[in-house]
Amino acid sequence: MAEAGRKIMQLDFSYLVKTFWLCVKAIPVTLEITIVSLLLAVIPALVIALCRIHHIKVLEQFGRIFVSFIRGTPMVLQILIVYSVMPSLLNSFVKKVGLSVNVFDLNPIIYAFIVFGLNSAATLSEVFRSAISAVPKGQVEAALCAGLTPFQTFRRIVLPQATVSALPNLCSITVILIKNTSLAFMMTVREITAVAKIEAAYGYNYVESYIDIFIIYIFVCLTVELIFKKIERRVVFAGVRRAKAI
Amino acid sequence: MLKLSDVHKSFGKVEVLKGISLNVEKGCVTAIIGPSGAGKTTLLRCMNFLEKADSGEMEFDDENLDLKKVSKKTVLSIRRKTAFVFQNYNLFSNKTALENVMEGLVIARKIPKAQSKDIAMKALEKVGLKDRADFYPVSLSGGQQQRVGIARAIAVNPDVILFDEPTSALDPELTGEVLSVIRTLADEGTTMVIVTHEMSFAREIADHVVFMEGGVIVEEGTANQIFTSPKEERTRKFLASIIKK
Repeated sequence: MAEAGRKIMQLDFSYLVKTFWLCVKAIPVTLEITIVSLLLAVIPALVIALCRIHHIKVLEQFGRIFVSFIRGTPMVLQILIVYSVMPSLLNSFVKKVGLSVNVFDLNPIIYAFIVFGLNSAATLSEVFRSAISAVPKGQVEAALCAGLTPFQTFRRIVLPQATVSALPNLCSITVILIKNTSLAFMMTVREITAVAKIEAAYGYNYVESYIDIFIIYIFVCLTVELIFKKIERRVVFAGVRRAKAI
Repeated sequence: MLKLSDVHKSFGKVEVLKGISLNVEKGCVTAIIGPSGAGKTTLLRCMNFLEKADSGEMEFDDENLDLKKVSKKTVLSIRRKTAFVFQNYNLFSNKTALENVMEGLVIARKIPKAQSKDIAMKALEKVGLKDRADFYPVSLSGGQQQRVGIARAIAVNPDVILFDEPTSALDPELTGEVLSVIRTLADEGTTMVIVTHEMSFAREIADHVVFMEGGVIVEEGTANQIFTSPKEERTRKFLASIIKK
């Protein structure tokens, strides 16, 4: 205990600053995983949400099971499964097709995209489902009565309103995802946490490293929250503001 | 112009429409009255396929349709020839009054934007809301919202406008402004089917009154016939109970 206390007292500030900038350089990797995973997840999430709302046979059940599986298992476990099973599966597939690609040379970030993409698809689908269901059914009927096709109705009436009500949840999902990407170090992806751990391992400067990324995560997450707040204010109040100006 | 014959519709085990036949004449106002649960709204919703009837036929625009088997294309084309005014207005809350009216013109009927805007402004002027064109539904009163709903209906120049209890959600003060707009349309010879609980209004503007109860049409006739000398006991009872209130 005393040992540890002394260690904290003797923080290596030059190391702390040096590692801080090293970790800052890893921010793009963290953001890349976050953004790519979210983008990959949007369309499948929308499809799952729509299938569940419109009770489309088989696909509805599939969606429900998929969401339960993802939500019902720890992320760490999902990472372990994907990272240990996927490469060999991919390898046998590649061999079968006859491609001359070495699966084991693939950038591990691909596996991060897969895990976080699947996870985001499940969580996003629930956000979309509630947001779409929140658009009053009467407005959908009114649009159909006005002669719009179901697709036009969805695109012009449902989607814009659903987007607005989904924004607060989208913000939390994004922030949670950013924090979860720290687990990508398990797949040897060099994101913020991985860089900090690797640096710390040289001289056992774990405390300094953790302080560094503590600050970095807070900074990144707060920035993302601020951006979402800005967008939210823009879309939510646009109508009211315009109405008041007249 | 619009003729329904033997329309049946059930929700689960409950039969809501038990063989309804109805004739809507061009240029006439048809009022459908009756107690709650009579199937009035369901009947109206079957006319433009918001509900799918279990069986029955509809003649519309010289086309004979089996209500049970209509293609998506037919549904779309009928919806583009009709308009619907809802009890709860159902304005698109992400669009201004003007955009609400323009939506059916620009998107559904592919009328150029500038031209659509002219038509929409004229419709809003007609319902007395030209100065509210750029307001969002949230900043309009109930009566104003319903008038926008009516403007949205007349802008597309439909063959028939279907009204589903257009004033039920409004307080008496606001009911007047909506009814007066509908009155103007009636005077211009707009074909309308109105489900309503406003008896005096139905009596005043309807050419044809239909009394429904328990999923059947009990009695129909001119407003005078129904309101002054109803033949059926059930009609008499219903009208007496309403007037007592």
